Order: sequence, then C-alpha cells, then structure tokens
Amino acid sequence: MESGIDLQGQFISALESLGLSHDLAKLLWLPLPMLMMLIVATVGVLVAVWLERKISAAVQQRIGPEYIGPLGILAPLADGLKLIFKEDVLPANSDRWLFTLGPAVVVIPVFLSYIIVPFGQNLLISNLAMGVFLWIALSSIAPIGLLMSGYASNNKYSLLGGLRAAAQSISYEIPLALAVLAVAMMSNGLGTVEIVEQQSAYGILSWNVWRQPIGFLIFWIAALAECERLPFDLPEAEEELVAGYQTEYAGMKFALFYLGAYVNLVLSALLVSVLYFGGWSFPIPLETIANLLGVSESNPFLQIAFAVLGITMTLIKAYFFVFLAILLRWTVPRVRIDQLLDLGWKFLLPVGLVNLLLTAGLKLAFPVAFGG
Amino acid sequence: MDLATLTQTITFFALAGAVIVAALGVVLLNNVVYSAFLLGGVFLSISGLYILMNADFVSAAQILIYVGAVNVLILFAIMLVNKREAYTPVPGRWLRQGGAAVVSLGVFALLTKMILQTPWQLSSLPPTTDSITTIGQHFFSNFLLPFELASVLLLMALIGAVVLARRELVLEPEPILGEEVVPPLELPERPREPVALSEK
Amino acid sequence: MKFLNQITNYAKEVVQSAKYIGQGLSVTFDHMRRRPITVQYPYEKLIPSERFRGRIHFEFDKCIACEVCVRVCPINLPVVDWVFNKEIKKKELKHYSIDFGVCIFCANCVEYCPTNCLSVTEEYELATYDRHELNYDSVAMGRIPYKVTQDPMVTPIREFAYLPAGVMSGHELPPGAQRAGERPEAIANTAESSEN
Repeated sequence: MESGIDLQGQFISALESLGLSHDLAKLLWLPLPMLMMLIVATVGVLVAVWLERKISAAVQQRIGPEYIGPLGILAPLADGLKLIFKEDVLPANSDRWLFTLGPAVVVIPVFLSYIIVPFGQNLLISNLAMGVFLWIALSSIAPIGLLMSGYASNNKYSLLGGLRAAAQSISYEIPLALAVLAVAMMSNGLGTVEIVEQQSAYGILSWNVWRQPIGFLIFWIAALAECERLPFDLPEAEEELVAGYQTEYAGMKFALFYLGAYVNLVLSALLVSVLYFGGWSFPIPLETIANLLGVSESNPFLQIAFAVLGITMTLIKAYFFVFLAILLRWTVPRVRIDQLLDLGWKFLLPVGLVNLLLTAGLKLAFPVAFGG
Repeated sequence: MDLATLTQTITFFALAGAVIVAALGVVLLNNVVYSAFLLGGVFLSISGLYILMNADFVSAAQILIYVGAVNVLILFAIMLVNKREAYTPVPGRWLRQGGAAVVSLGVFALLTKMILQTPWQLSSLPPTTDSITTIGQHFFSNFLLPFELASVLLLMALIGAVVLARRELVLEPEPILGEEVVPPLELPERPREPVALSEK
Repeated sequence: MKFLNQITNYAKEVVQSAKYIGQGLSVTFDHMRRRPITVQYPYEKLIPSERFRGRIHFEFDKCIACEVCVRVCPINLPVVDWVFNKEIKKKELKHYSIDFGVCIFCANCVEYCPTNCLSVTEEYELATYDRHELNYDSVAMGRIPYKVTQDPMVTPIREFAYLPAGVMSGHELPPGAQRAGERPEAIANTAESSEN
C-alpha cells in the first residue's frame, strides 16, 4: 500500500529549500493544520445546516431557504452573521464567569476531536495511536460545559436541560465505547488509519458493517444520543424545557452551542463512515483500478486523483449519515426520559456487551475474517 | 535550548501553575459549585501533564474517567441537592481549618523531602510510541492479578448498583414513640339500614 | 424455557419496532420527491373561495339606517349615525363605520341587511401600523378591493377545491383547466330546468 501524499513532509522540505531552518519550517507548518481543522469543521457545519433546512423543508413539502444565494445556499452564513451581530445578553443574577465559560467548554473538545478524522492515508491532522479513544475521552468533557451553562443561567429550564444532557451523555457513552471496542478488537488498534486500512482489502465487501451490523446500529443510536439529535433531543425539548440549557443564551454564545451541535453531528457521521464504512476507501479497491488502467501506483497524477477520490468518498459517506439523521428527525417522535435511560442501560448496554463477546469469539474462531 | 524543549518547559510550568491554582481554588473557595468545576480544571491540567510525559493513553483515560465520569457525577450530586444557602458558621471553625492546613503542609513537606532524597533512576530508553500495546501486555503478564482483582471489584460494584436500583421502596409512616396512633380520617356515614326496618 | 420465550418475545419486539421505524422513514423519504405546496405569498396568492368572508363592503346610498346589522351583530359593532328628517319623514344616514380590528367576519350583517347594502369582499390583507386605522368608515368600506386574478404583480394559485380531478397542486396548471364537477351556473341551470 502506498502511503499517498505527505503534505507535511513536502511543505517542510519546500521551505527548507528556500533556506529556512528545519525547526522554523516545522513551526510555520504547525498552525496550518489547526487552521485547516477549524475551516473544514466550520464549512462542514455550514453545509450540514443548509442540508438540514433544505431536507427538512422537502420532507414537509416546503421549499426552504430560496432567495439567499442560489438555492438558499448562503442561508447558514446569514444565520451566523445575524448571531454575531446580536446583543450578548447576560441574564439577571446569573453567574457571569460560568455563563461565559460554558459554551467554550462545550465547543472546544468537539473541534479538537477533528484531529483524528482521516480523509486519506496521510490526510489527517495527527495519526494518533489512541485515535477513537481520544474522541470518546474528549466527548466526555462536553457534559461539564452543559452543566456549567445550565447552572449559571439561573433558570429552572436551563438547569433541568443541563442535568438531562449530562445524564444522557454519560449513559450513552458506554454503549458507544463498547461498539468502538468491538471494532478496535477487529483492527488490532485504536488508530483511525489502522481501522480504515483493515477494511480496505476487498473494497465494499470488507467494510465493517458486514462484520459488525449490531455494533453499527448501537454506535449510530448512541451517536445520535450523544449529539442530542431527535429522537434523543430531551435536553433541549422545546415543548417541555423551552430550549434546555440554551434558553438564556443569545448572540455569539448561542452560536457556539449551535456550532458545537452541528460539528458534533458531522463528526459522528464522519466517524461512522470511518469505523463501519471504510472511511476514504472506494467500493472497489483502488489497486485493482490502478492495475486495470495499467498505471503504476506511484504515479503523481494517480495519487492526486486517489486523494481527491478519498476525500470525496469520506464526505459522501459522512453526509449520507447526516441526511439519515435529518430524515430520522422528522420520522421518529421524541422518547421520554425514562424510555431514554431504559434504552441506554437495559437495551444498548447488554446488546453491546453481547456484541463484544461475539466479536471476540468470532475473532478466535475465524481469525482470517475478523482480523486475527 | 531548542524549540521543542522550550515549548515543553513553558507548557510544563503553565500546566503545573494551573494545577496548583485550581487545586487551591477547590479547597479555599466557599461556593461548592465553583470548587467542583475547578476540580475538573485540576483533572484536565493533570492529563496535560501526562501528555508531556508521553503517556497519551493515561491522559485520555484521565479525561474520560475523572473529568467525564467522576467530576460529572460530583456536579450532578451538587446540583441535585444545591439549595444556594450560606453555611451556618460553626464555632471554632478556624481550629479545624488550621488543623487541616497543618496536616496538609506536613504531608507536603514529607513528600518534598522524599522526592528530593530519592535517587531517581532516569531511564535512557526512548519513550514508547505505542503505549496502548505496552500497557496491554503488562496487564496480561506481570500485572494480571491486580487487573483481574480490579475487574472483580467493578463487577461487585455493578451488581451492587443493580441490587440497590432494583429494590422497591415501600414507604410506610412509622409510628412515633410516645404518640398515640391516630386512626386515619374517615367520612362519617349514616347507618345503612333500610328505612322500613328502622321504623319498626 | 420461560426465559428463552422471554428472549424471543423481546427480540420480536425489537425487530417489529425496527420495522416500524423503517416504514416511517420510507414515508418521510417519499415526501421528499413531492412538489412543495408552498405558495410564495407576496408573489403568488391563493384565489379566495366563492364563499370567502373578507372585509365588508358598504354602499352608502342603499342604506336605510334600519340598524338591523347592529342587532344581529354578536357584539353590536356597526356604528350607524343618522338623523330623522321630519320633512320627508325618513331616517337620513350621516356616518357608518365598522371597526375591523374587532369584527369577527361572521357576515351576519350581510345576511340580514334588508337592502343588500352590505356585502363581503375577498380582501383579507388588513395589516396596519395602528389598530385605529382598522376602524373603516363608509368611504373606506366603499372601496372595491383588487382581485387576485387581475393583479399583474401576483400569480394567482387555485385552491384544492378548484383543481381538476386528480391534480394535487395549483402550480403549473394547463390554461383552461376546469375544476372537478360542474360549475355553479351549470348546477343552477339544471336545477331550474328540472323545476320547469
């Protein structure tokens, strides 16, 4: 397997050829991935918001945003602009510091998790050995921010929403982790690149969905619950809690929550595609295509084409799941809080454990098919 | 001093300072909610220190378990019972605080002395890049017994939680000693005799 | 055995609920390919139905100031200002007004007016900056509203009841498409001819 394009190495060597020292070149490279991460995540959110509005409209036989740019494509930008220019309201008797800190604590870990999302062999910020585990660990920080903002708002609805969000998030983290564990067991590692490579041998046939169908369902349900998407949007259930922990927020702080929620959704969709749908790999293995075309794999044009194809595949797969989440939003009614906890603890947790046991057994029995 | 070492030093002092300040805040602040949130800050800074020591898995586990589970549960408990009332001043409180301060300072002094006196052996081996595999190998070879014991302990806790949660509480008012039991209130009813019978 | 039965029942329930969620998803998915029913309001407007009760129209000269409209009004809303002209021994109307901020558009007044000087129009765009502007006097009530079908700025859209059989959307109708069933004139003609 070719390693593909190594942007970092080429950037640094290019700068060194200009006469800069190695350290300085590396220092200049450092902010680029971070900036890239922010931009990619934000653009991903804008697309997701636009899709949400358009698909919701289509499901309800409406038109949706139409006049802001072609097909209303600038609507999310207009939303963002409006939120930036809005007054920053601080509710009476609220806790100023915690109120301001809350949204930041919610948003920063979500953005940080983009470190591990691979778009190609070397097209990720950092190929950490911990990979998915880092994502699980980072996503467990968010409930603290939710509790913080819920408490600081000096509002019953906010407090209840924050408590619900924390309860939901810590209950669904466990099935999520169990589903990820089964995948990690099959790929002998937690790194996202390893996980994708382990699935890319036979194209679509070797994707993890076929070997982990139960795990995939558990992961998807738990990911929806972690993102607080319908049917699990109890923390901000508007009929009961106004807007949950977001009730008192306005302007940029609210925008941070909004951004965080959608970044989380896109991130979960990306991780579903990485863990279960072969990440950047094409349904037909690319080596076969290269051999058919009679081109060597180290051909630079082919590498660029494959890199573009990889990014496109990842995005197509991820946005398919965003689409599914939006469709589910208008299909499934909200569950009650006791049903939510029942589903998490009495259904997903046992099924996740059984799935883990099954995977371990199958791995021992058929080491060829289950990553021995 | 090259770039990497400089960054490491600066990060170390920033993180260490954050740990100390946040920990002092946990102890000294009067508002218990602030203390709980600052505890989360302490845990986060400590996980940053782990990263500086190349212990990436430990730091992620620190975040997952201490920040994501322990601290959230502490906050949960505080927020469910929080009534926002000031503590009643306890007479002689300074005595307790002084005692606590003396004990903490004593432990601090002991630890400092221990750290300074121990001849630390610095390993010259390069740090492992794949800490997860190393940890896994140690768990299943020379640390097998503690690992299994911990799992048994967790299983016990799990079963205990299930048993506690399954117990159905039936609340009955207990009779208070020294008070006569008042019969429950009932509506006075007319005698249910047919009118024709009672006339005779 | 009993335990196994429980597990099978549980599994069956899980499969069933998954099936129902799938059915629901297929319904929502099917809705996506249907044409939006949106009427882009200021540019497109629905043609009000024949029995639409909009703003009341008033003809000053026909009014005999009998005040029947006031009596049948649920809240005695119309204000009828008249003086008795002793020379011709008739009531002479001076002012007439209805406050459409209070009116509920029940059109009882139209129903009972003996001289048909009141009628309902299809005007419903009554928004003003001040609620007192809604208090229409006889001059304001005498104005005839713009018809949606005659307004060059507006694309008129037919309502569901006025569409040909089987057509669900008022957009993109072929010109001259008739509504399902007979037109009112035809119904009236057949009714007359059968009476004769």
